[in-house]
Amino acid sequence: MLFEPYHLTYVLRLIEFPKHDIPFADCKQPKLQLVQVLSGHRGRVWNVSWHPGGNILASCGEDKTIRLWGTEGGPEGKWVVKTSLTDGHERTIREVAWSPCGNYLASASFDATTAIWDKKSGTWECNATLEGHENEIKSVSWAKSGQLLATCSRDKTVWVWEIAEEDEYECAAVVNAHVQDVKKVVWHPTDEILVSASYDNSIKMFRNDPADDDWSCIATLTSHTSTVWSIAFDRTGTRLASVSDDGTLKIWRVYLPGNGEGIGLPDDIDPRWKCVCTIVGLHSRSIYDVAWCHQTDLIATACGDDVVRIFQECPDSDPHQPSFNLVASSSGVNGHHQDVNAVAWHPTIPGLLASASDDGDVKLWKFLEGEL
Amino acid sequence: MSSGFSGVLQLTDLDDFITPSQECIKPVVIEKTASGTGSKIKIQNDGSYVQVNEGGDTEKLRRVDISLSDCLACSGCITSAESVLITQQSQDEMLKVFQNNKQLRECGKEKESKLIVVSISIQPVLSLAARYKLEPHDAFQRLSGYLKSIGADVVLDMTLSEDLSLLESETEFLERFRSKSGGSKTCLPMFTSSCPGWVCYAEKTHGSFILPYISSTKSPQQIQGTLVKQLIAKNRSYQAANVYHVTVEPCYDKKLEASRNDFYNEQEDSRDVDCVITSIELEQMLMSQNLSLSDIPPAEVDFPWLEGSSSTEPCSYKGTLVRHRGTGSGGYADHVMAVAAYELFGESSAQLNFKVLRNPDLREAILEKDGQVVLRFAVANGFRNIQNLMQKLKRGKCPYDFVEIMACPSGCLNGGAQVRPEEGVQQKELTTQLEKCYEELPIHTPKSNPLVQEIYANFLGGMGSDRISTSLHTAYHAVEKMNTALNIKW
Repeated sequence: MLFEPYHLTYVLRLIEFPKHDIPFADCKQPKLQLVQVLSGHRGRVWNVSWHPGGNILASCGEDKTIRLWGTEGGPEGKWVVKTSLTDGHERTIREVAWSPCGNYLASASFDATTAIWDKKSGTWECNATLEGHENEIKSVSWAKSGQLLATCSRDKTVWVWEIAEEDEYECAAVVNAHVQDVKKVVWHPTDEILVSASYDNSIKMFRNDPADDDWSCIATLTSHTSTVWSIAFDRTGTRLASVSDDGTLKIWRVYLPGNGEGIGLPDDIDPRWKCVCTIVGLHSRSIYDVAWCHQTDLIATACGDDVVRIFQECPDSDPHQPSFNLVASSSGVNGHHQDVNAVAWHPTIPGLLASASDDGDVKLWKFLEGEL
Repeated sequence: MSSGFSGVLQLTDLDDFITPSQECIKPVVIEKTASGTGSKIKIQNDGSYVQVNEGGDTEKLRRVDISLSDCLACSGCITSAESVLITQQSQDEMLKVFQNNKQLRECGKEKESKLIVVSISIQPVLSLAARYKLEPHDAFQRLSGYLKSIGADVVLDMTLSEDLSLLESETEFLERFRSKSGGSKTCLPMFTSSCPGWVCYAEKTHGSFILPYISSTKSPQQIQGTLVKQLIAKNRSYQAANVYHVTVEPCYDKKLEASRNDFYNEQEDSRDVDCVITSIELEQMLMSQNLSLSDIPPAEVDFPWLEGSSSTEPCSYKGTLVRHRGTGSGGYADHVMAVAAYELFGESSAQLNFKVLRNPDLREAILEKDGQVVLRFAVANGFRNIQNLMQKLKRGKCPYDFVEIMACPSGCLNGGAQVRPEEGVQQKELTTQLEKCYEELPIHTPKSNPLVQEIYANFLGGMGSDRISTSLHTAYHAVEKMNTALNIKW
């Protein structure tokens, strides 16, 4: 496969998506309610990212623009485009990511550069460009500290960038661990551990080795049978969700050295990640993104079958063999009309979710809990 | 790391999904032969193509062969072209030549046989010494013994070429620095050129912007090539094409260097270095014969440099393994800085201390005069440091006068094709061991080598002669990125 999947646009749906069985016959079902459609991008929308303060949503796509959305007339108001950033990239913008402080926005593009935007001058401007990748950049992510940034590319490498001084970014490492296109980079929510997902079907974790200040692979997670498109940590950083072209959502759990569960470790230093749950058969196409809400613990997936799905852990589930229920999905007239590329939970409003699709729209959803 | 290339070259593999056998984009000239109409092409069981003409005769069709120099000139895949390398620059190819030579001599066709010369650089000696737990000098002589046992006529060290490379780098730097101080537009910092991984990356990725900064001085491997193919060949009355010159190097990138068209003499149909083999390939050769280097009887390393010369001055280092001051990659920064401090600022005993900056692979030394920094030199190894250097240069924020650049982290002692560490040993531990080994070798300075004067005066035709630039310098070529259907995307 040479290209970012230019998903085949058959309309035929061969597998009818199975309806979820609700255990309680007389309850009001949980549902995903459409809040608003944000239209404006020309062509597919690749990614959405919430500002850590929650008042700006950034979106990007193949029209090479970044749109910054905000509400009109107070936080409850309608979301409208506040700014369009148009002159940063020469090709598709694949991903956008806010720095933890909220002052910087990073954009990763197929033009092999990553742009860093800020508003120091009063308007949003690109004040640094990170060059070095050989070709298309697929993902960008800021570490919790805000001092490190990671990018990954079709050139199979993962780069770690360090903020040297104001608007100066230095390459701290080029990690050559994957054997194929790297699709996603994500930082651990608390530790300086970097995780990447690849077309080589694996997930890898990296950590800085103080001996030579280089980054090395500390874990390789294999279980998916096709491209791993995206990964997301839960709020504690002890579990990781991954989604793949193989149509599964997997949950991984960390076992630290000396764990009471007798999980063997490759060596005595690094933790071991074990796949503790695989959700099969619910997604009928490639799953492109996953978001794990750090407020509600809900998991959202973005799928090539146009559907956004919400999963919730069963209350009595065994932590070493957890089970997750599909509790809601975005099917029907309100849903996206083409592949869903990304999902992102709002950082402060529980249950508010943004999704981005090939149909050119960003949609905002509200997850409503079921009632007995 | 399974590839013998430096990490930098693995990165310049421009398109990750193609291998040359599948999707080579290099246009090739195909010699057309008149084919009768009505001929058919059939595919045989072995996958070969034959042409069947009207009379029913079959003729095997030639495959188009892509050579390594085609690959070098192309912006497409490069290091995935290992299959190309294997056909031209491998132990098999070398052994084939050795075998062929032996047979010719056994049949009494001595005159048709070639003079086989093997030049060994220091890093593989240390790598193999560590692998077989030998003293470096002992390993060197046993390696010589092994190569002679399989067919080498002459085995050489590369000290003389390293000396010439350091001296030419020094001259080039002084010229650049003086002309810049004189106000002309000269490219400083000067970057070393002995690492072909870095040069290849610069040519492919940064093109004409970066090339003027790269030292035109040839690497020791290529200077040795010139000396062997011109001086030694002449002294032994061989045509250059009848000398088969093998170098032993720590990195596959050196194979690419040897294949550059700049080092091919069309008139004589001869390459300065015909074949490059690496530490790891020598280990494989020994293993395939169930041999350990310690089993091999030692043999002297040859010293044919004074043949045909009237010089009688003794060479103190003859027959010993020596090192240069500074890094295990040749010590360019140390040497050039020491000379520059003296020549430009009259500092004869400046303490040149290379301090670690962001990481151990980025080190810097400064010379201060009256509180001002007058010289700033650096050693940058590994891709991340090269990368930051390039970005700084592009933004006009590169503070250096000279940078010794090697593509491999820790430089050439940790070359991509050095012998791998034993099970349980970290790569870094092995590199540290090799560095320590290198440190312990006796220090040699280029100016103390009487052969150097001999080469300049006689072989090169005196100081300032044109032959110096043709024999000891080379040129670089930007590789234009090709836009093919494969890499035009939305």
